[in-house]
Amino acid sequence: MAGFRLIFSALLLGTLCVAGVVGGAVAENGLTETRQAQCMDCHAASSNVAVHAINNTVHRDLAGGGNASCTTCHGTSEEHLRAPTNTAPDVSFGPRWPSGADARSASCQSCHEKSDQILWTGSEHQQENLSCDSCHDLHRQQDLATAGKASEQICLNCHQQVRAELRLPSRHPIAEGKTACTDCHNPHGGLGDADLHQVSLNDNCFSCHQEKRGPFLWEHPPVAEDCSLCHRPHGSVNDRLLTARGPALCQQCHAAAFHPSVPYGSEGLPGGTSNQNLLGKNCLNCHSQTHGSNHPSGARLTR
Amino acid sequence: MNSRNRLPFPFTAASALVLATSGALAQEADPYAPLAVESRPLQTRWQTDYAGAVQLGLGYTSDDNYMFGQYNGRNKDEATVIGNLQWQDFRSADSYWQVSLSDLGLDTREGEITWGVPDRLKISLGFDSQQQVRNDSGRTPFRGDNKQRLPDDWVSGLYTSDWTALDDSLKKFDRELSRDRLSFAADARLNDRWRMETRLSYEDKQGHGDIGGAIYTDAASGDAALLRSPVDYRTTELDLGLSYDGDRLHLDGHLAYSDFDNKDDILTWQNPYSSFGPNVRYPNGEGGLGLAPDNDQASGRLTGHYIFSSTTRLQFDGSYAVASQDQNYADYTVNPALTVTEPVPRNDYDGEVATSTFNTRLLLRPMAKLNAEVFYKLRDRNYDTNRDGYLYVRGDGGNQPRSALTVYNTNHDLTSQIAGFEVGYRLPLRSKLSFEYEYEDVERRNAAVEETEEDRYTLGYRIQPWSNFSARMHLQYADRAADTYHWDQSYYALLDAELINATPDNQRYITHPQLKQYYMANRERWEGKVDLSYLPTARWNLNLNMLYRDDDYDQSKLGLTESKWGRVNFSASYAVSDTLSGSVYTGYDRYEADQTSRAFRGGQEKNAFEIYPPLPQASDPQQNWDIDATDTSITLGANLRWQLAPDLELNLDYSYVDTKGEQDYSTRPGGSVTASDLPDVDTRLHQFEASGTWHMRDNLSLQLDYQFYSYKTDDWAWKNVQADTIDTVLTFGQDNPNEDIHYVGASVIYRWR
Repeated sequence: MAGFRLIFSALLLGTLCVAGVVGGAVAENGLTETRQAQCMDCHAASSNVAVHAINNTVHRDLAGGGNASCTTCHGTSEEHLRAPTNTAPDVSFGPRWPSGADARSASCQSCHEKSDQILWTGSEHQQENLSCDSCHDLHRQQDLATAGKASEQICLNCHQQVRAELRLPSRHPIAEGKTACTDCHNPHGGLGDADLHQVSLNDNCFSCHQEKRGPFLWEHPPVAEDCSLCHRPHGSVNDRLLTARGPALCQQCHAAAFHPSVPYGSEGLPGGTSNQNLLGKNCLNCHSQTHGSNHPSGARLTR
Repeated sequence: MNSRNRLPFPFTAASALVLATSGALAQEADPYAPLAVESRPLQTRWQTDYAGAVQLGLGYTSDDNYMFGQYNGRNKDEATVIGNLQWQDFRSADSYWQVSLSDLGLDTREGEITWGVPDRLKISLGFDSQQQVRNDSGRTPFRGDNKQRLPDDWVSGLYTSDWTALDDSLKKFDRELSRDRLSFAADARLNDRWRMETRLSYEDKQGHGDIGGAIYTDAASGDAALLRSPVDYRTTELDLGLSYDGDRLHLDGHLAYSDFDNKDDILTWQNPYSSFGPNVRYPNGEGGLGLAPDNDQASGRLTGHYIFSSTTRLQFDGSYAVASQDQNYADYTVNPALTVTEPVPRNDYDGEVATSTFNTRLLLRPMAKLNAEVFYKLRDRNYDTNRDGYLYVRGDGGNQPRSALTVYNTNHDLTSQIAGFEVGYRLPLRSKLSFEYEYEDVERRNAAVEETEEDRYTLGYRIQPWSNFSARMHLQYADRAADTYHWDQSYYALLDAELINATPDNQRYITHPQLKQYYMANRERWEGKVDLSYLPTARWNLNLNMLYRDDDYDQSKLGLTESKWGRVNFSASYAVSDTLSGSVYTGYDRYEADQTSRAFRGGQEKNAFEIYPPLPQASDPQQNWDIDATDTSITLGANLRWQLAPDLELNLDYSYVDTKGEQDYSTRPGGSVTASDLPDVDTRLHQFEASGTWHMRDNLSLQLDYQFYSYKTDDWAWKNVQADTIDTVLTFGQDNPNEDIHYVGASVIYRWR
């Protein structure tokens, strides 16, 4: 008899537990009030769990806040509520049960498919099976992907070759965080080259270097066509981000009579002839207006 | 913590045992902890969960420099304040605000204040100061800013070595540029479908760069000087955006306006040389350089996509921009003593260039495993400006020449179109095979080549056979064909008919007829890329990335004939434990370019079409010379993050970069052209950073920083080049960078909830 009572009490206890779970009013997000309480029951704030850091961000009040802000991204996850250690939420960002990349991105795109994110589908990153959470982490007070200086590290985790270029002798201030990768590139995708923000590479450069925009009375045609014909934007061994040093760079395209066609070797160094086309700024000692000139006497880019 | 509902039945001992046992188990181990990943880097963990943090302290840089402090504001031997602030409040459901300020004690300070109503409105005000310092070891005898004059006791001469008063007149100057930018941004959600964005910025860029100017009468003469160039720019930009978020159609439209204003129109300098006539030589002679003209650009852009179905989507991005410039022209010469009888043909350029772009892509998924896309890209650059003759004064060196020397400005319209498709098919082992074909057609007006066409074929393969290993490979072949190379196009476009008619047919060119400018030349390209990622264990991450590209300009006899680019990058990171992780990386990059040219003089030697000996120089292959230029860089780096104790963190970072620039010459045996190899240009950088943080209390930390920076180079362009080393170029006499800099910083971080 005592044994029967024990078993009955346990069964009654279990039944009433289940009754407590399924009972209660059904909330707008499909969860009962009792179920609403259960996201936070397990995923409690603690010093080692970053889940609640989201409460210090704009995502805190999604769908009214509280557990509703969890289910907005992770889905109602009823199966997960019933068997939390064995079943994943509807949308899980890992590491234990990561959902597919498209499912994870779709969760974010329910709100974020505008402006810079509008061309995500079909983008290079999306085709490489990345998802929003590959770079963004919402369960922290400051999402590193949008944190300026720190965001470059996220890019460099994959784009290792760029890390090497950031310390070359001539470079943009990317390592200092004054030019972020995202100042030029749109990681959410674009239809132009290299996922640049602007419609063309030149327009991208002109967004900071407006003095080169022109138009000029005397144009230097390769400048108007493509800045990368002479420059390497991430970093270069040569001064001013040039792909090659002068006078050789200029002589790739120029071989006019007299000085433009002459080779300038080590005989032109100090101690030899100290040649003006080799030393100092080489061709630019005179032809300084390489990006174009608006001076009436500037046909040779010397004015 | 919300408690589970208590059950309404007698609390028997058995029930209590079950509950107590369950509770005890729950306290001993948290089975859910792995589900919420601790991904915060060590150094930021202490800064989260707090509403705000302020960091105050002092830093000290050991020496004046211009490489270490090129962009970071630490270019002087001085103490600087460390000041950073992060503060935010998201407690209210009605609104939130954030403040971020950094580097307050440096000239590179920046900050932003944001206020918003979640999902409704966001307003930001920001400021950003940037600084660039360049080599300031140089000196100049000139005084003044945009009108540069020599000291009264200047002693002139034909060559720089004749200037006996030069040394006494040289003074150091700063070559710094600073940009200060103010910005305003407002984003508003008008309703479920419509959003609006506004961006307004104002930027002030000031300082000094450097520029070369020469006074001359023809191509053979040139008395040059390197000058400090004033920079005083103001740029105002406005961007208005409106986006629509429909069920199938998403649109994002922008109207933008950018106005660039240069406070300086012209830079003049007093001629230090005593060449040429009395009106040109020192002290009366003067040269003038036009500085960047004011310009503005108005543009409109529409981006969007239309979802036909779950398997079909159209994306598009189009824009139209007009850049215009109508700054008043300078006179042909700044020297009033020179005779100019024919004025400038108009007062200003009064011209504009319209750039249209249209990119579109149709994404399809005809089968579950097959993705396809078809794309088209257009870029059209169309000038609307006048073409006039300019009887220009050569180099402020003499009177206006005869009318036969009139030159004409030319526009360079361009239309580029790319069309293509890509298909990708998913294969077993989580792999994907893709093939892409692109056809590019570029039409150039008033260029040596009217049209180039290129076919590009790319084969890609990506595989992830195991969850911890992925590989990507890419092979591309591109074949570009160029139209007939009109080597005389620029000659006829630029010069006056009278001069052309007076020139023999076989000399009617500017650049040698056999030289093809590489961006318009036939080219065959091969490119291969491999990327491997391997995580042997959950704590290891290995990555290898390789690229090789070979460009062969097979139809180019002169000019760039071939280039090869190869690079290898390897990185490894290892998380020993939750408190210790490290990474190393290394890279090798090598770029080789081969170019050929032919040395020749003018007059009869300029005949490039003679086939019978004795050959004029322009016709003689023995006059050819070659450069084999190679730029290599080796980078090494390592990083260690270590939490020695719960309240003590250490972060170490080391970078090493070694670059070499080589230029080797070769000439033809028996020819008259000689050139010897140039010395290698080596640079070496060591940079070590250490940061230690002691968390004295939960809300109070002490941080110590140390950096060591060593940079050396031996660029022959400046090595042993004093101000008067070159006969007819006054240089700055600057030294090559050779810096060993130490930086130390101590700061306190205080946080609050």
